[in-house]
Amino acid sequence: MSVPQDDGRIPELEALRAPPRSDADRHRMREGILTGAELLLARRRRTDSSWEVLAAWARPGLLAASIALAILAGAIQPWRGRPEEVSQPVALEDVLGGAGEPDGIPAMLVALNEPDADAVMAAALVERNGNGGDLPSPVEQR
Amino acid sequence: MARPMAAKGQGESQVHDEPQLVDRVRRGDREAFAILVERYGDQAFAVAYGFLQHAQDSEDLVQDAFIRALERVDSLGEGSAFGPWFYRLLVNAALNRRKYLARRRTEDVPVSSAASESPAADAERAELRRRLARALGSLPGELETVVILHDLEGFTHPEIAGMLDIPEGTCRSHLSKARRLLRDVLQDYQHRS
Repeated sequence: MSVPQDDGRIPELEALRAPPRSDADRHRMREGILTGAELLLARRRRTDSSWEVLAAWARPGLLAASIALAILAGAIQPWRGRPEEVSQPVALEDVLGGAGEPDGIPAMLVALNEPDADAVMAAALVERNGNGGDLPSPVEQR
Repeated sequence: MARPMAAKGQGESQVHDEPQLVDRVRRGDREAFAILVERYGDQAFAVAYGFLQHAQDSEDLVQDAFIRALERVDSLGEGSAFGPWFYRLLVNAALNRRKYLARRRTEDVPVSSAASESPAADAERAELRRRLARALGSLPGELETVVILHDLEGFTHPEIAGMLDIPEGTCRSHLSKARRLLRDVLQDYQHRS
């Protein structure tokens, strides 16, 4: 249900209007507000200036930090050297890769990493058994 | 959203500088804050008086409202006008303040306006004011706020709607309802007297 619009003011309400105030009253209120606000305003100024100081420091600070990091990284690099290579055991097939071929070079000889003991032993056995047993057995050597 | 409002006697151009003023206040600029106090102080006092009917209470309330506004100014959106936001804060503070006042105090009628009347007429006027104030205070909060802002302080419906964050139609219907209730109180008073 819509409320009928009432455009008539109530003249008696004028009695509730604020009485006129003197300039002195207005000034007093204004000064009271500003005095009461002083602490908060000062705190806001401090906070703001703190941010300004931080902002002022931020750019050169970041630059200096970047340079320092770069120098530090450069200094550390020679000490660290190349990343340590983890030697992987050489597979038997690789070791024997060149052994069966007449001109083949045993992979063991050209491998970058030292072969593991099992591969060496296996190669030796293959050499002995497969190629006429030229290699002496450990027992015979003794 | 209602257009940004100016305090009485303030031009629109002055209202447009408010986002900058508010920004300066955020950074603790005393001068910018003083401009806002100058701009809204008197009108705020009149609004507060409409609720409290006591000059000292109204001054205290206005002072508290400005301090509260300063504390919360960061919550005012970027580019928003100070006026509607501040008046909303003031009206809420006024309604809360009144809850703490055990009994509504009404001031004596100023001497300047009562000088020509007899003591009996003065007393009658004071009684009318008390009744009106009591009747206003008995209205639901939003109805009272609308009638004070519109009929006493001359704000427009769009301005009040913006302040209270209600639709303009609701604002108009609140005013009609409030006036009817007040008229009933006044008729009752006139019949008795």
